[in-house]
Amino acid sequence: MFRRTTAERLAPYALVAPAVLIIVVLRLYPLVLGVNFSFTGDGERDGTAVGLDNYAVLFGDPLFLGALRNVGLLVLLLPVAVAIPGLLATFIYLRVPGHRFFRGAYFFPAVLSPVIVGAVFNLLLAFDGPVNAVLGTVGLGPVDWLGDPDVAIYAVVGVHVWATFGMALVVFLAGFATLDSSLLDAARIDGASLPRVIWHVIVPGLSRTIQFVVVTTMIGMLTSMFGLLYVMTGGGPGGTTYLPEYYIWIQQGQMNRPALASAASTVLFLVMVVVGLLQISVLRRSGRAD
Amino acid sequence: MRRALWTVVLASALTLAGCGSASGPGSSSGGGADSLVVWDWKSGDDAAAAYVEAAKADFAEKHPDITVEFVAQPFDQYYTLLGAAIQAGKGPDVMLFNGGGQLRDRVDALVPLDSHVAEDRDRLVGWDAFSKDGRTYAAPVTLQGHPIYYNRKLYERAGLDPDSPPATWSDFVGGCATIMAKTGTKCLALGNKEGIGIQFFLSGLGSGALTGQEYDDWIAGKRDWTSPDVQRIFELWTETDGAGLNNDAANSTAMFNDSFALFSSGKAAHVIGLMSDVGHWKDFGEFLDPGDIGVMRAPVITPGATPSLPYDGGIGYAVARWTADPALAADLVRSLTARDALAVFHADAGAIAADTTIDVSKAGPAVTEIVAGIETGKPALHVALSSQTLDLMGRLSQQLLSGSVTVDEALRQLAASDREG
Repeated sequence: MFRRTTAERLAPYALVAPAVLIIVVLRLYPLVLGVNFSFTGDGERDGTAVGLDNYAVLFGDPLFLGALRNVGLLVLLLPVAVAIPGLLATFIYLRVPGHRFFRGAYFFPAVLSPVIVGAVFNLLLAFDGPVNAVLGTVGLGPVDWLGDPDVAIYAVVGVHVWATFGMALVVFLAGFATLDSSLLDAARIDGASLPRVIWHVIVPGLSRTIQFVVVTTMIGMLTSMFGLLYVMTGGGPGGTTYLPEYYIWIQQGQMNRPALASAASTVLFLVMVVVGLLQISVLRRSGRAD
Repeated sequence: MRRALWTVVLASALTLAGCGSASGPGSSSGGGADSLVVWDWKSGDDAAAAYVEAAKADFAEKHPDITVEFVAQPFDQYYTLLGAAIQAGKGPDVMLFNGGGQLRDRVDALVPLDSHVAEDRDRLVGWDAFSKDGRTYAAPVTLQGHPIYYNRKLYERAGLDPDSPPATWSDFVGGCATIMAKTGTKCLALGNKEGIGIQFFLSGLGSGALTGQEYDDWIAGKRDWTSPDVQRIFELWTETDGAGLNNDAANSTAMFNDSFALFSSGKAAHVIGLMSDVGHWKDFGEFLDPGDIGVMRAPVITPGATPSLPYDGGIGYAVARWTADPALAADLVRSLTARDALAVFHADAGAIAADTTIDVSKAGPAVTEIVAGIETGKPALHVALSSQTLDLMGRLSQQLLSGSVTVDEALRQLAASDREG
């Protein structure tokens, strides 16, 4: 009797052990190692403890501060990046003409590698490229999309949103599947206009899905724009399109300063934790209000 | 079910294909007593096949019982793989290096070759890039530098004499105005998207701006960023762009290969290019008639400056410290830099070989002009800078073009970075 309860008590631990071990050994332990490494030096001071020196270098480096400012910009642009797939998914859900075609067409860029997307848009956005040619026919001056320091970051973010919104769209469509269609019918019978239906029925009904998309889109923006940046601007012009992950790669791979790169990674990790927690708490509160 | 199966098969195949390129042919490391292993990133190219054969044949004559194996590594991972080999203390017997920092950072793992290559000392040039503290660690195969190429046909169309390119900066700017007015092309092809346009500009024009003393001091590490002559180069960088001499949107034009394509396609009259590998006479000669490609010295910007060809040792072969018989491996290095092998490399791969006695007359007037400049040439200015300073210079050069930093401020930051690094 006693033995059986012990086995029963231990069983859950045994069952979760593999998962916990994998997370601890392959995720948490390297994370701790990386943080620890960020307190050591590079080059001649390799391996010696330098305290917070790397962090002092980081926050004295205008390039890294610029990269952090760009993170702030991404957070501000986040609602746009979420609203686009949300709206398009709504149209598909409401069965606009050709919705089957659009469902496939919208998802298509999500299967392309960032390098290919970047190369295609390099051609489209070239100073003498087709986009400027089209602008020229309607009398608008050419824009140096990737060479103007005030424009380049928006061009890259725009391309990133184009390339990745398909995945969020699919998540939204899955969310719609759980939406109670009788609510929509009721709203229609009451004569509600489309914007009101979206605002009062669809958005509250999808609050969980929106929450998920907001968090994953933010993580995507912060951690998977490297390929696009590498191909489209190389962090330029003048460092205006740097993001922390690009900075990490340059310091690690090009400048041979891995400890500084670890410090930057730690900062990026903390930024993501803070941004993620903030988003979840804000969205929870708004979810409760409804 | 069947569909799911195919999906899985396809996905795994794609994953495996992705892995294949990364794992690479790194299996063979370290030759035994009767074999030598060479690591490089060139021998996989078709263009280098005849060179490898020639070097092997030369070596086989001297050591018929030794087999030589070439292992071509992907260039983007080359120094990472080499670093792992050095950490482990075993790997190839002979390896290819870029001149300068890549080699100097790793001399602890290399055998000094001075006594082995004494006979080649006078025949080859470019040794400095492979030396540290008075010792030589690799024998040069090619030279790399930054000649100013010009399109002789555009000169003719503009009514300028292609046989006497401008010798002073004011002549150059005047000629540019004529070319742009008469042919509708741009004067200078400039790609600064990667931030390396400034490196070519600094090194390509530097010998016309710095006095001989300033130039030698710069290379020796005594760099005066406040000197008016240094300042002049960075002022010209912004002035040429402001005056419309460059192609449009230099900051979003990739040097590799969009700016070179502008020159090759006759849309720009000049470009500061390379001597070997890419962006050079052979690449341009595929689109332009080789006879139409001219090479000029830097125009004199500061009176009294003596323009020279900026170049350094490009690539060269070194011998690993862990090799069983250093003399044998050094013999292989000598075969890899033998005159006949280098002659083949020059012709097939399109490189300026380190052996200047090779007949280059078939490659056109540009190569003849480049080779003629080697004797009086000097190391390129930007090669002397640390990678940190070069990275900063790239960003500042983009900011200079977009007007978000002044020349004074840029030079102040560069001086600070140069002091640190």
